[in-house]
Amino acid sequence: MDHPIELACIIDDDKIYVNLVKKIIEIKKLSQNLIIFKNGKEALDYFKAILENVSEERLPDIIFLDLNMPVMDGWEFLSEFVKIKNSFNKKITLYVVSSSIDPRDLERAKSFNMVTDYLIKPIELKRFEKIFERDVA
Amino acid sequence: MLNDLQLNSILEDFDVAYWKINLLTKEISWSQHFNYLIGNPDPGPNKFEFFLENILHRDYRYDFREHFEGLTTRFKPFTAEVRLKLENGKYRWFECRNLKSKDKGFSDAAVLLFVNIHQAKRDQYTIEENFFYYRETAEMTSTGGWYLDVNTNAVYWDNVTKKILDCPMDYEPNPEDKMRFYAAEHHGKVENMFKKCSKFGIPFKVEIKMRTLHNREFWVRATGKPVYNNEQEIIGIRGVYQDIDEQKTNELNLQNSLDIIASQNSRLFNFAHIVSHQLRSHSSNLSLISQLLREAKTSEDKLDLLINVNDISENLEEAIKDLNEVVTRQNNLTKEKQLVKFKDALDVVIASTSSLIKRENAEIIAEFDALNEINYISEYLESILLNLITNAIKYKFKGRRPVIYIQSYKEHGENFLEVSDNGMGIDLDEHGDKMFGMYKTFHRHPEANGIGLFITKNQVEAMGGNISVTSTVNIGTTFKIKF
Repeated sequence: MDHPIELACIIDDDKIYVNLVKKIIEIKKLSQNLIIFKNGKEALDYFKAILENVSEERLPDIIFLDLNMPVMDGWEFLSEFVKIKNSFNKKITLYVVSSSIDPRDLERAKSFNMVTDYLIKPIELKRFEKIFERDVA
Repeated sequence: MLNDLQLNSILEDFDVAYWKINLLTKEISWSQHFNYLIGNPDPGPNKFEFFLENILHRDYRYDFREHFEGLTTRFKPFTAEVRLKLENGKYRWFECRNLKSKDKGFSDAAVLLFVNIHQAKRDQYTIEENFFYYRETAEMTSTGGWYLDVNTNAVYWDNVTKKILDCPMDYEPNPEDKMRFYAAEHHGKVENMFKKCSKFGIPFKVEIKMRTLHNREFWVRATGKPVYNNEQEIIGIRGVYQDIDEQKTNELNLQNSLDIIASQNSRLFNFAHIVSHQLRSHSSNLSLISQLLREAKTSEDKLDLLINVNDISENLEEAIKDLNEVVTRQNNLTKEKQLVKFKDALDVVIASTSSLIKRENAEIIAEFDALNEINYISEYLESILLNLITNAIKYKFKGRRPVIYIQSYKEHGENFLEVSDNGMGIDLDEHGDKMFGMYKTFHRHPEANGIGLFITKNQVEAMGGNISVTSTVNIGTTFKIKF
């Protein structure tokens, strides 16, 4: 299982969390590369740019999306991303990762077809590894 | 003179039964119809006693005996209303009267007529009863009737209407100043509904404020319907006023409590959100670190992770401080209201933010002439101004000198404060609903902490007011507070 995933993406404004996840990915060698966005707007701009350049090399295999972020939160990102997602050929897996345990957030996240699962922070290391394995298979 | 037979048949035709009494022997004979009515019983030897015992309702026994004595001994006119038990076992009303003989000499016999008056009696009772209920209902529900003659403009009021309008019973409404009985703010509405009804026959049913003779205002449900003459022309409007002041006041109070509860509920949701999100995010980071520590192989890796613990503890402390601030501000309500001058409050705020104002070269213009003071908690007013002013400077339009225009004024008897800036503005279509929520930040700004407007809104609402916002991106933002 050498670098099964080429590019993972984290959209989250919590610097500490992002740092830790980065460490996990490095230590466990879960992905070759990692791109990080502080909020939905930055991530969306990135995806729109890829769409215009028609180069899908820099598209991530997997996205971890936080909900509560400044400027553009996870919900707004989701509703925008849905519109452009089908223009990509690459299969992108998306997980919502939030510290919110509000069942309404969970319901709402599951109402998006493209959301594979709703992960509640903190994520367990074992779970995290499994997600990467499953995504490869 | 009619003979017995003729008399009998005429009386029967009219459904009249009678007794013939021999005044000498006191012997009584019952007409055929009378016998028929009571079911042809066998009265035994004494018809009179049988009648009193079995036919006449016992309430009338004494009176009937008295009357009968009077008639048979002194020929005193007999007239009474009695109830008789008929062959079906039910009591019916009869009027009992003696036939006055014109021939005074012929006085050895008396005729006692029994006329069925049951229907009339029942109608009378129904009317009396209905009238009783109508009056009781009108009194109990404070519902007064009125009539307006469309042609002469004359107004008629019943007693209950006069009562609910605090008018003496001999008060005559004057068509000229009939509007004085309606609250000023509803004059337009009243004129409109009367015009529509008198011109087009459109009935109305409205809740309006009226004003009594002593100028006490109260809520009334007013209904009115057109009255037509035979030519189908509208000649008047008839209707009722129902005093619903108590209900309406309760309703308004209820609505008010509902609003308060709703706003408290939304605050609680915000608290739940902080606890669920802000605090959990730190604790989940801690848990992630402890997992990583277990996996870390070298002491260098471990040390690296420990630096994060320090960051988390700082963030956690910040979050708890914010939370504490919100709770403290909300518990400040015990303080007494007093007259606060806007200028004094602004001076305090400017003094405490002078370094920020100087650094950003901000200009603050204040217009407090139209309303220079209000009854408020001074700490609140200062905190509100502080939040709005620092916000305006924080979110200035880059490269533009921040200008903040503050104005207080009165409108429709309410007090207002407006704080406008020439800053970066905000897209309200996108963020409007979240504007005053906790930890909502919309700008990529290091100083955005998402707590200022949440506290401001809480303070304004805790004092019974509200705050609204209008904004244009790149032009500026105006906050409007209704106290």
